[in-house]
Amino acid sequence: MPDILVQYEAEIWVSIGETFIMVGASLGAAILLGLPVGTLLFLCRKGEVIENRLVFTVLNLLVNIIRSFPFLLLVVFLIPFTRLIIGTAIGTTAAIVPLSIIAIAHYSRLVEQSLLDVPKGVMEAAISMGASVKEIVFKFLYVETRSGLVLGLTTSIISFISYSTIMGVVGGGGIGDFAIRYGYQQFKTDLMIYMIIIMIILVQLIQFTGTTIARIIDKR
Amino acid sequence: MIKLVNVSKSFSRFKVIKSVSLTIDKGEVHGIIGASGAGKSTLLRLVNLLEIPDEGEVRVNGQNLTNLRSKELRQARKSIGMIFQHFNLVANKTVYENVAVSLELANFPKKERKDRVIECLQFVGLEDLMKQYPAQLSGGQKQRVAIARALANNPQVLLCDEPTSSLDPNISAEILGVLENINKVLGVTIVIVSHEMEVIKSICNRVTVMANGEIYDTVLTEPIGIHHIDKSPSYFIEQLAKVGEMDDA
Repeated sequence: MPDILVQYEAEIWVSIGETFIMVGASLGAAILLGLPVGTLLFLCRKGEVIENRLVFTVLNLLVNIIRSFPFLLLVVFLIPFTRLIIGTAIGTTAAIVPLSIIAIAHYSRLVEQSLLDVPKGVMEAAISMGASVKEIVFKFLYVETRSGLVLGLTTSIISFISYSTIMGVVGGGGIGDFAIRYGYQQFKTDLMIYMIIIMIILVQLIQFTGTTIARIIDKR
Repeated sequence: MIKLVNVSKSFSRFKVIKSVSLTIDKGEVHGIIGASGAGKSTLLRLVNLLEIPDEGEVRVNGQNLTNLRSKELRQARKSIGMIFQHFNLVANKTVYENVAVSLELANFPKKERKDRVIECLQFVGLEDLMKQYPAQLSGGQKQRVAIARALANNPQVLLCDEPTSSLDPNISAEILGVLENINKVLGVTIVIVSHEMEVIKSICNRVTVMANGEIYDTVLTEPIGIHHIDKSPSYFIEQLAKVGEMDDA
């Protein structure tokens, strides 16, 4: 192992840990809230089972607005809100707030798009069999679109890693922040490159895992 | 069994069904035929309220569906089976799971589900393909799965929307044979929408002819049997010749 990595080993592990916490929290927010929001966006569309113009318009606008922010500005803009719910706007825990918000907006859009690919006929068959909205979602929509949901989540996780590198501005830490502070600002270019390599490996692993799972569960 | 009273349906100002009344008796195999755009599919979809009528009443098995609340309507739909031109199976569910889902929706007792699914698949001759996914089946097999799914909850009515229109003539005949059996053996009332005269003539004992969103006529017929649908290559040649004549004229 190169000397410089040995020298900073402890700090690197801490950074990797911080990245995992931030990305993990984003992932949790994407699944727990992004999935339902995306499903609601789809179901409230014109012609869908619970067509509701008001809910659709509000959610759609909200998702668009959040995604319009350059992420750095969103982080800064949300500082008062973060302080309100976490008590501080600084640190890895505080970083979870803006990351979760972008994660929900990001993944909900991908969920909506995946659901749009479900053939209309399958929905009709479900309705003709007397399925309730909940049953349509869990027994038909999610089953039929499961590989799309996994691929969307894979894309989202990779974006979350990228977003997490910004969190250094509020003391969130992470690999990206480490690369900037130690590699770039202290002129240790080789250290920065090693950090980039770690991220490339991470992204490759995630993409490979996501694509493989999606392929295995896709029987269409 | 099925009674439509002055039902109308419009799609963005275009009146697709114009105050239609129709009564279909228990045990009938009722055909609805007409040119494309005549409103026959819409009429069929009004029966289980897949399309909600703008006016009029839809009665199935003595129940006025148009008055029901959504929960009651879902319950009523469980005794009205439906099959489609493009089968509409869940591609990520196996043959077994596709049939089982309709039992799950109806809260069919868990212990008896497996037996019931197998029974239905045996009825359509597909018990050996239980573990396959729809993508591995032929068109005719997919339609059989759809039929098994529609039958699982012992429906009193089976609605068929162009059930053979995307199948070869010989496969069509097989599917019509299955439908005929469902009517004769299980006593299910069947409504078939088709633009193919052969299909209607083969198994229907009453036929409604539709044009421009209205019923042109309803007539009693003698089903001439599924053998009428020719399986030989000469059938295709004749059809091709007919197309040629039409082009000439």
